[in-house]
Amino acid sequence: MDKTLAHLADFHDEAPLVKGNLTFHDITEIVSSHTEKKTPLQWYGAFGLALSGLMLMIVMIAYLFWNGTGVWGLNNPVGWGFAIVNFVFWVGIGHAGTLISAILFLFRQQWRTAINRSAEAMTLFAVVCALVFPGIHVGRVWAAYWMLPIPNQMGMWPQFKSPLLWDVFAVSTYFTVSAAFWYVGLIPDLASLRDRATGLRRKVFGVLAMGWTGANRHWRNYEKAYLLLAALCTPLVLSVHSVVSFDFAVSIVPGWHTTIFPPYFVAGAIFSGFAMVITLMVVARKVYNVENIITIDHLEKMNIVILVTGSMVGFAYITEFFIAWYSGVQYEQYAFTNRMFGPYAWAYWTMMTCNLFFPQFFWIKKLRRSIPFMFAISIFVNVGMWFERFVITVVSLHRDYLPSAWDYYTPTWVDVLTFVGTFGLFFTLFLLFLRFLPMVAASEVKGVLPEADPHFYDHEGDGHGADHTLGVAKSKTAH
Amino acid sequence: MIELPIIDSAAANEQTPRARYWRSVSQFENSTEFQRVSGEEFIPGASNAPEGATRRQFIQLMGASMAMAGLTACRKPIETIVPFSHMPEDRVEGIPVYYATSMPFRGALRPVLVESYDGRPRKIEGNPEHPDSLGTCSSFEQASILGMYDPDRLSVFNHKGATSDWGSFKSFAGQLAASSRIVVLAEESSSMTLAATRRRLEQKFASVKWIDYSGAAGNASTRGVNAAFGKSARAVHSFSNAKVIVSLDADFLGSVDSDSVVNARGYSASRNVDGTSDVSRLYVIESGYSITGGMADNRLRLKSSEIASFAASLGSGLGVYAGDTGVHSSHPWIGELVSDLQGAGSGAVVVVGDNQPAGVHALAAAMNAKLGAVGTTVRYLDAGDSAADFSAEMTAVIGEMTAGNVDVVITLGVNPVYDVPSFSDAYAKVTERIHVSLHQDETAQGATWSIPQTHFLEEWGDGRSQSGLKAIVQPLIAPLYEGAHSNLEVIALLATGAEQFGYDLVRETWRSELSGNFETAWRKVVHDGFYPSSGFSVLSASASAAGIESAMSNVSVSAHQGIEVVTRLDPKILDGRFANNVWLQELPDPTTKVVWDNIAQMSPKTAENLGLHYKLNGGKYITDIAKIEAGGVSVELPVWIQPGLAEDSIQVTTGYGRNILSDREIRSTNFFDRDDHTDVYGHGAVATGVGSSVAALSARIVTATITKSGSGYMVASTQDHGAIEEEGKIVQKRGLFRQATVEEYRANPKFVAGGEPKPIREDWADYPTLWEERHPANTDVITQSNYHDYQWGMVIDLNTCTGCSACVVACQSENNIQVVGKDEVSRGREMHWIRTDRYFVSGDGASYDSPQMVIQPLPCQHCENAPCEQVCPVAATVHSPDGTNQMIYNRCIGTRYCANNCPYKVRRFNFYNWTKTLPDTIHMAHNPNVTVRSRGVMEKCSFCIQRVRQVNKTANIESRPIEDGEVVTACQQVCPARAITFGNVADPNSAVSQMRTSDRRYELLAELNVKPRVSYLGRIRNPNPNLA
Repeated sequence: MDKTLAHLADFHDEAPLVKGNLTFHDITEIVSSHTEKKTPLQWYGAFGLALSGLMLMIVMIAYLFWNGTGVWGLNNPVGWGFAIVNFVFWVGIGHAGTLISAILFLFRQQWRTAINRSAEAMTLFAVVCALVFPGIHVGRVWAAYWMLPIPNQMGMWPQFKSPLLWDVFAVSTYFTVSAAFWYVGLIPDLASLRDRATGLRRKVFGVLAMGWTGANRHWRNYEKAYLLLAALCTPLVLSVHSVVSFDFAVSIVPGWHTTIFPPYFVAGAIFSGFAMVITLMVVARKVYNVENIITIDHLEKMNIVILVTGSMVGFAYITEFFIAWYSGVQYEQYAFTNRMFGPYAWAYWTMMTCNLFFPQFFWIKKLRRSIPFMFAISIFVNVGMWFERFVITVVSLHRDYLPSAWDYYTPTWVDVLTFVGTFGLFFTLFLLFLRFLPMVAASEVKGVLPEADPHFYDHEGDGHGADHTLGVAKSKTAH
Repeated sequence: MIELPIIDSAAANEQTPRARYWRSVSQFENSTEFQRVSGEEFIPGASNAPEGATRRQFIQLMGASMAMAGLTACRKPIETIVPFSHMPEDRVEGIPVYYATSMPFRGALRPVLVESYDGRPRKIEGNPEHPDSLGTCSSFEQASILGMYDPDRLSVFNHKGATSDWGSFKSFAGQLAASSRIVVLAEESSSMTLAATRRRLEQKFASVKWIDYSGAAGNASTRGVNAAFGKSARAVHSFSNAKVIVSLDADFLGSVDSDSVVNARGYSASRNVDGTSDVSRLYVIESGYSITGGMADNRLRLKSSEIASFAASLGSGLGVYAGDTGVHSSHPWIGELVSDLQGAGSGAVVVVGDNQPAGVHALAAAMNAKLGAVGTTVRYLDAGDSAADFSAEMTAVIGEMTAGNVDVVITLGVNPVYDVPSFSDAYAKVTERIHVSLHQDETAQGATWSIPQTHFLEEWGDGRSQSGLKAIVQPLIAPLYEGAHSNLEVIALLATGAEQFGYDLVRETWRSELSGNFETAWRKVVHDGFYPSSGFSVLSASASAAGIESAMSNVSVSAHQGIEVVTRLDPKILDGRFANNVWLQELPDPTTKVVWDNIAQMSPKTAENLGLHYKLNGGKYITDIAKIEAGGVSVELPVWIQPGLAEDSIQVTTGYGRNILSDREIRSTNFFDRDDHTDVYGHGAVATGVGSSVAALSARIVTATITKSGSGYMVASTQDHGAIEEEGKIVQKRGLFRQATVEEYRANPKFVAGGEPKPIREDWADYPTLWEERHPANTDVITQSNYHDYQWGMVIDLNTCTGCSACVVACQSENNIQVVGKDEVSRGREMHWIRTDRYFVSGDGASYDSPQMVIQPLPCQHCENAPCEQVCPVAATVHSPDGTNQMIYNRCIGTRYCANNCPYKVRRFNFYNWTKTLPDTIHMAHNPNVTVRSRGVMEKCSFCIQRVRQVNKTANIESRPIEDGEVVTACQQVCPARAITFGNVADPNSAVSQMRTSDRRYELLAELNVKPRVSYLGRIRNPNPNLA
């Protein structure tokens, strides 16, 4: 493969980010056509399934509202169960998108362009799933809005010392900024869709594209806005899960009261988020035939992130044990012994195996480039990370200080089906996204094509210099 | 308008025939105008009311009406109750009035004081002036208020399956032939009026056989004392004088004991480790594990069947018994006990449980007499209790009934069809079966007449307390159900053929009881709740060796072969009479913590040998069913493994497996609605279908064969969701329950400090509280509040707390705590605000088979630095200026974060709307001063803040400071052992502050720096060093 100047400037001899010698137009075609073609039957099938899941969730929530929190498996020592576990799980999943978009953008990791759009969409939808829970898990749902600082005639404000309140702010801020970031990134692609469409579709995309013409001025404003939002998102990626971890870390429950939680939760969130991206992308790139845009190299990079964050999480697990021993606090020691050998040992060992053991296979290059293998591992990581939250939330609570209060938590069918239902919500939104919006950030991918190099057509550039005219370059015969 | 004769009305019409003098034409003509003007002293209208009655008439009418108003005060209280719109004098709305009355319980009266709101009895306390109560009571009295509001009460007369009424029964009673042969089975009663009415019944009818029905309890004690002294007497103990107590299978501190309140108070007095006198020593020899066993300094596990031999050996050692001492004659304990008892002399006492045969009771009486204990630690009272063998009497009566020699059976508040399996067939052979009962129970279902009985809060009656003090039972409310009548009224009707009111009958009796002005004396007795110095006379008899020999002659002292099954009265529902009371059904058993079930308790080894197992599945206790076969009958019960029981001894309790009919509808709901699940009253009568009856077992101790007949049965308990062995070690390691022997305490009074866990390597006390300077408790809004002068705190003395659980029910009654049912308890959702944690401790030498049992009551600790408050996102749990941690129910949104962050796990969450489906009558038992919580709200112990505020108000109105002891929490008030002290910790002279200076004081989980306001006093044990 020949090299562009851009490639020459790199320290590393990297493979091109887009394979198959695609041109700008190819990219536009590949990305846009999926939203324009006749809806395939398979989509209806998948959407039907996802929608059933969503309906299931709605029915479960209706059942919960009608009867009360008792329909869940909670009991006296275990005041938080599936709802909080699922909340943290989904918030964690919601980390990959913004991390890929914002942090990797700031670090000029151009490989992010292939996956950032769908990862961001995933983030948003995961946060939507997460936001279902804080509202419904309270006993008096009709008063849940009291957690918001709404001025009222009583002068009654929320209690600002409570981490749950910080949570409300952190997650809602995160959702708002992520949504804005995602939308801003969408604008050039929405304009492309608009330009290709007619009729009502053109009007809708016209409104959404906010009058984008691709003018230089637009691009300048866009780039600035994108950079600013990326800078805004970056601390949020770190803060949101830190704040979620405060729900636990600020309390005095042995197994919760741990200063390592903020970084450990963030690492875990990235870990689980990337695993979810792998799970989704492995399927989507195949189905939507974008294997040249979301290449095996991209997937490998994500697997490396999984390996790194997985090891960080594993390190945190071990650190917790060390500190429990080193601190000499017997409650802490018991909490961790109980995790390993208590009645929930199965949950603990599931977590350890999935999160610490399986990702280690990614040290082997062959395995981290194997599609079926990485798919399997990503599922394991998702399962493992769900269990991590289960272990932290439930296993710490079920046996704390006074043995007389100990009990065991068993989820009910309502707990399980509500969780299953959130996948319905997630996939409903995700399938709608795949159907109607560009799943790859076409404008950004174009930016990392060799053609995007201003010197592409210079001599010694990759575009055969003066031998070519623009017209030739535009033709589909290049390379 | 009532026409009354007016005194001067006749004078106006008087005519005079004499010569007339006149002063004007109009007078001469006697015109109407003249008549009008001249007829009066003053001009018209000046002195008279314009029309209607004159002043005199008015005053006459007023006088008459006042007199008549006074007459209404003399009305019979039986008459239709006056609507409350006519407010009685001295009644202030919302301010409760207290009335003294008494609860009949196991043949004696339990003195109580009933709080009444606007004519509605609401809460029962002990009568503080009565020496048998001093303001405390047991869980039964506390819960009996709910019994009155029981929605399953029999509300209408039933005659041969058809609805009837009192009038029909009256005509029936009038027609009853004097030649009728009558059998009366009456609940044990000390009522003098009932006794008098009984005599009238016996006079009227040819043959009346009256049996004092002791049911499952039996009367072995009376018979035993009768055998020893040749006279029937009741043993009443004064444990406060005791130095050495030997309990032979006696749970004298347990709530089922007829004198448990007095016993608990006396015992706790004898355990005063900080006083000048020596601490008493309690030996308990028992087969089960009672709360008395938990208090024991030395406890011996022994089969109930072999305790007779132990007693005989002890008796032989003390020189009161010369017969065969049997298998335990050389038991290592005998020598120690004999010398210890003899050393204590008059401070020694031997107590025997109801389960033991009369012979053992006789032996104990003789031992007490020999030791000189009579008069000091035990008194034998001439209570006139029947010494007839109850079971023999019943057998005879059943025989008569079967033979057709009985025309009428009258059952008064008893349930023989349930208690005595052979009764049912004989019962059906009797023509007239009259049953007076609170419920449509098993006997009512076979009766020809079932008559709704009045609850003791609805009736007039009388009787005597355990020590014999006479008292009057006065009603607090008209019977909730119109047709309800008391036992007394029914018997009086049958005896006289005419209706008699309980009030009249009782007054008639008391005319001869009281001296001086009857009305004054009567009012005083009704007001005080007892008649002072009317106790039973003390019997001073010496034991006869021959009597003991004969009593012991039919008692086996040989080793017991096989498995024994011991039936005891249930500590929660007694013999089943409290089975329909949801508070008691959901009260955790004091020792097993099981709710809503009866179980076959056995030791781990016994269960292993019998091949019976349990497993914990999802925190639930899933167990095998044991089939107990004895004497051709069998009962099936779920297995419960309880450490510390005698091997091959199975403990079961009475009162379950009831079949009460209720006319309430079964709740059925749509498939999406869980109201049918959450409604504990929604499945017919509460008691029906709970547990299985053990009545079929012919005796209280039987030899049985045990087989496994099933498995997979779920038993709900509030503790033991696993890790029973692990628990003990953790309790030790975490220093949750701290105790020492007397010697250790004397050597190191600060022993509790040694139990302090070291949470971090450094001394935790050196670490300041987070935000200490800006702590909310130091803000102006708190420190400048008027409430800030009083800082409430509590001290619980683990040395005297027996774990009887009366506090749990008292709290439930005071604070409107809801009941959730068996299934929800098994999910860990019980709502009790105070729990009595039970731990087993296996110290040195003690094993898993024979551990020590300790009890720790745990209300909210009201941490000064409360972890719950800091995590609530809506500030629904906050600190009050008087230092208590409070829940603001209408602010709570139910995140449950506070409960998670509570290290004591004392917070309770309303997972469902428990009050939505409550029957109306149950709502009437609610405390109007305490919010009834809705679904989705957290709740917990409030230190009875409503009582605190009431005293705040009173003191404020009277412009005086609150006195020490003026605020009494519900748990403190009921505690018979006086283990709970509550008061102002800011006042160094208050009782609670004094307690807080005790060397034995420690705070639970103090190292968390949550600064709990509740502290505990370590327990001091006094074991015999020569016995392991």
